[in-house]
Amino acid sequence: MDNQPLPYSTGQPPAPGGAPVAGMPGAAGLPPVPHHHLLQQQQAQLQAFWAYQRQEAERASASDFKNHQLPLARIKKIMKADEDVRMISAEAPVLFAKACELFILELTIRSWLHAEENKRRTLQRNDVAAAIARTDVFDFLVDIVPREEAKEEPGSALGFAAPGTGVVGAGAPGGAPAAGMPYYYPPMGQPAPMMPAWHVPAWDPAWQQGAADVDQSGSFSEEGQGFGAGHGGAASFPPAPPTSE
Amino acid sequence: MAEAPASPGGGGGSHESGSPRGGGGGGSVREQDRFLPIANISRIMKKAIPANGKIAKDAKETVQECVSEFISFITSEASDKCQREKRKTINGDDLLWAMATLGFEDYIEPLKVYLQKYREMEGDSKLTAKSSDGSIKKDALGHVGASSSAAEGMGQQGAYNQGMGYMQPQYHNGDISNV
Repeated sequence: MDNQPLPYSTGQPPAPGGAPVAGMPGAAGLPPVPHHHLLQQQQAQLQAFWAYQRQEAERASASDFKNHQLPLARIKKIMKADEDVRMISAEAPVLFAKACELFILELTIRSWLHAEENKRRTLQRNDVAAAIARTDVFDFLVDIVPREEAKEEPGSALGFAAPGTGVVGAGAPGGAPAAGMPYYYPPMGQPAPMMPAWHVPAWDPAWQQGAADVDQSGSFSEEGQGFGAGHGGAASFPPAPPTSE
Repeated sequence: MAEAPASPGGGGGSHESGSPRGGGGGGSVREQDRFLPIANISRIMKKAIPANGKIAKDAKETVQECVSEFISFITSEASDKCQREKRKTINGDDLLWAMATLGFEDYIEPLKVYLQKYREMEGDSKLTAKSSDGSIKKDALGHVGASSSAAEGMGQQGAYNQGMGYMQPQYHNGDISNV
């Protein structure tokens, strides 16, 4: 599936105070070459994500089916909200738990790419709106996140990027030439040391540690908000019969 | 249900959504039942951004709404297919077919593997447990969440291959509103 992002304008108004970023005159859109390069990076990032997910699915184990990232009972309730839905097999919420995880990851990756284009380190609602607007398969969400939210972008475009320095946290300083355009990503050919399997230079995403996260089902306090009910989905599946050992 | 009826909102913050959903909604379903817990969603989202990245609360809430819409979107398509085929129970293959039909081709391959492994695990569990092996439809009524029985799942092994024959993407662009 060649899901080409829709043409979009990356021109953004200068930060308040009239401090222009070197190499980005006014709010004009990016020249064709960097734009094309940026799209290539985005496609590479998503291709790597899907390749990793295919590998990850092979490693699914019994514990994965008992400690879902999402509560099965809640998924079932959402499915049953449709009055036409009558009976649901046991495997349907299990499959949806994985599908929703993939959906959240893909939507968040696409949203983060938009935040990076605007030199922000905080993902915001309008980043999600932009990702939805650009992606055909997300058309069914256009009513959920009205496109007008993008108008918030000028106010939220806090210019913290230093002129001439690498805009995105590129690992090697040498990989980001200071001359000309601010550089979003290191060169395509430069391998990322943390990911020897493929060359995705943007960053070292944590989604490749999904298995570890699942295996450590007890560690829900990483963000200081342990959520017991969130783990209630595990109770939906009684532990395997003792005789299965 | 095994899950506590009152979901603690403190941990995951407020479940109340600031943006009204136009025309959608299941009607009398409670607010906390319409969305997945925001803490779980937040945890998954963090795996998709760099370690030093942050996620605003409104972004988490927006994705929370999108996930529910995703579930309803796929479920509705799968349900329509079951009705056309005079079947009453939605199974995993129906969901895979619906996702492929609605354009989520990238999801099919990892999910097929995942579903296959789940069925294998269920098969092992059944053979060992020697539990009631009848194709009891009651399993899918109200106890589907608490039952590890996959009699229907096992019975769908044949349909598993058939389901992949529907890999014809049919984009439903335009006005697809959640009824």
